[in-house]
Amino acid sequence: MDLHFSEADHLFRARARAWLAANVPNEVRPAHGPESAQFDRDWQRKLFDHGWAGVAWPSEYGGLGLSGLQQVIWYEELARARAPHHINTMYIGLMHAGPTVIARGTEEQKAFHLPRILSGEAIWCQGFSEPNAGSDLASLKARGRIEGDHLVVNGSKMWTTDAQHADYQELLIRTGEDGLRHKGLTWVICDMKSPGIQIKPIRTMLGDEHVNMVFYDDVRIPLSNVVGELDQGWSTAMATLSFERGLGFIGDQLELYERVKRAIDLAGKTRLDDGRLALEDDGIAQRLSSIKADCMAIRAMTLADIAETDRTGMPGPKGSMMKLMVTTTHKALSEVAGEILGWSFLEFGGDRTAHPWTYDYLWSWVFSISGGTSEIQREITADRVLGLPKSR
Amino acid sequence: MYLAPDGEEAEIATAASDFLVGAMPIDRLHVAGSADMSAELRALFGEMGWFALAVPEAMGGSGLSAVEHTLFFREAGRQCGPIDLLAQSLAANVAQDAGLRAALIAGEVAVGLLVADGTQFRLLGSSDAAWGLTVTEGQAALYPLASIAPAALPSLDPANSMRLLGALPEPAHQVTGSHISQLGQLGAAAMLVGMAECALDLIVEYAKVRETFGRKIGSWQAVRHPCADMAVRVEAARSQLWYAAAAMKEGRADAAAHLDAAKHLANQAALANADSNIQLHGGIGVTDEHHAHLLLKHALLLSRLFGGKRSLLTRLLHAELED
Ligand SMILES: Cc1cc2nc3c(=O)[nH]c(=O)nc-3n(C[C@H](O)[C@H](O)[C@H](O)COP(=O)(O)OP(=O)(O)OC[C@H]3O[C@@H](n4cnc5c(N)ncnc54)[C@H](O)[C@@H]3O)c2cc1C
Repeated sequence: MDLHFSEADHLFRARARAWLAANVPNEVRPAHGPESAQFDRDWQRKLFDHGWAGVAWPSEYGGLGLSGLQQVIWYEELARARAPHHINTMYIGLMHAGPTVIARGTEEQKAFHLPRILSGEAIWCQGFSEPNAGSDLASLKARGRIEGDHLVVNGSKMWTTDAQHADYQELLIRTGEDGLRHKGLTWVICDMKSPGIQIKPIRTMLGDEHVNMVFYDDVRIPLSNVVGELDQGWSTAMATLSFERGLGFIGDQLELYERVKRAIDLAGKTRLDDGRLALEDDGIAQRLSSIKADCMAIRAMTLADIAETDRTGMPGPKGSMMKLMVTTTHKALSEVAGEILGWSFLEFGGDRTAHPWTYDYLWSWVFSISGGTSEIQREITADRVLGLPKSR
Repeated sequence: MYLAPDGEEAEIATAASDFLVGAMPIDRLHVAGSADMSAELRALFGEMGWFALAVPEAMGGSGLSAVEHTLFFREAGRQCGPIDLLAQSLAANVAQDAGLRAALIAGEVAVGLLVADGTQFRLLGSSDAAWGLTVTEGQAALYPLASIAPAALPSLDPANSMRLLGALPEPAHQVTGSHISQLGQLGAAAMLVGMAECALDLIVEYAKVRETFGRKIGSWQAVRHPCADMAVRVEAARSQLWYAAAAMKEGRADAAAHLDAAKHLANQAALANADSNIQLHGGIGVTDEHHAHLLLKHALLLSRLFGGKRSLLTRLLHAELED
């Protein structure tokens, strides 16, 4: 057991800190519209131009090929520098579609798509979930039929985050017989400008329109866009699963500690309705401190898991426990912030910049539902970590 | 950077586990009068060197670090080990006299833990304790108990007897600094983590065999999901425990803060897991013959020692951390 970072790790941290201090934009990211996506593209381009793009990607595909530990350092420094949030329109490309293409794509697919993702030129979205297939993804129904050298897609997807900004979509459709569940799915790259695609925004409880319904009406996609084998889309989708389980949430994990510090600062200068500082209230102080301990544990869990993965080369099955811990802590922190802020917490009309704590509070449910609900994470933990008898 | 028992550390953990399962299994607590360690048992621990782990070599100990100390006490926790074990190893670091130190390390004299309660003191440990140890944040002291007859009290915790002392004699040995209280905090946190793990293991094992409505209870989500939550608590508390142990070993400036966080998470994990373990066992969980209540009662005691909720959280709130 040891907590040593190597000399190279320290140098990396110093370099990242200095660069971020000089380059993090002062402007606030616009909350909506094409200008929000443009902001993300510009920041990604800047990261790319200065050699900071693709921290987790292997260097042969233009990434930095950082060890897990250096990725931890990078995300800690991003959070500390209050850099643009890592969950933005670049997220699916960098954290999901890109790694899938790296794992299963053809040379042509790699050569075309990977540089565009890294440089911020291409925005990706994820079209997996459907109105009737979320937790039970394998029941999905959107269809692709083969016509010559094309797939012709019909059906609908739901919850597609940032579909309105995306250039490409990782699309999971049924190409085999109906009712075969995991068998007979295909993972294909869909050009979002293809004729026959219609996008309809879904307004959420956060007051924004980031998620969408996407309808496909005879959308023609070249077969050369299939990643992995036809009818083997489940296997392709799973190729990045170990990646997601290991490092996919590391940014969120490490950011929480910065946020709890900000909440403690906030409580130290915000007065309750009885005139006391919020931090003088025992209940608030204790909860903040307890959440701080949780955030320290999350960091320790992250480091433990990553050090193990760096050693074995294989991520363990602990990602589900991590997501549970992180989403619960996020919500608890947001709730205390609400108590600290009193009435002003309720002055929210959808403006994330002016009321970040309220926005983050509402985000709690997005966090505990998207990317696998908390109930599903408990199921995975019960199956894979505890080896309990299956529930289904 | 590595946050799990590694190499020789793992060997020590296995050796500790093997020894404790044989010498002090949790089953012992179902026999009346088992709260006290016998002189023979204490001497056996001494013979194996378990009280000497974190005592410097120059003082006749093994000179191992906070990490090995942690690993031993986690295994002791899994068997609901009494607080005597911790009191004895801390006392070996406090005794200034080589003869007494050697006797403590060998387990030839017994030590109990003294905890201030208002103007009185509670003595936790076997009734043959010849010494009482007090540990506060900046000081640890050993008191001779030979001329004192503490009043016996009933004890909820089956793993420790409890007695009451009106006043203390002059201390015979004293050390200042935070080293002893940190070792104590780490040992208590490690025991609580071991207990949280033990509760999880017990219910997972039971959920795989107990059937209701023609199904294993481990296939009911109302059982599976709290088990998953127990696993998360263990994972969080154990990871932070490793971090704190390594931070103390390396003498990092933020070690105290990491210890406070580790103790707080261990308190929570042991208490909540003991609770869930009883509930998910159904009726058998509330019987005296089951281990489930032992974990709850021992956790209630340990969670009050070396930092209860209030003091831990007050210190932690403004603590600064290093990278
Ligand atoms: C804001 C947001 C953004 C999203 N972005 C995307 C995206 O970009 N791309 C994409 O493909 N998807 C996206 N999703 C979809 C997300 O992955 C699904 O919402 C999620 O997997 C849950 O599926 P569902 O909504 O159909 O709920 P359901 O699966 O219908 O679940 C309903 C309830 O039942 C519970 N439940 C379901 N099955 C079980 C079980 N076996 N055991 C116990 N409880 C169970 C669930 O936990 C939940 O509480 C997003 C969702 C949200 C809310």
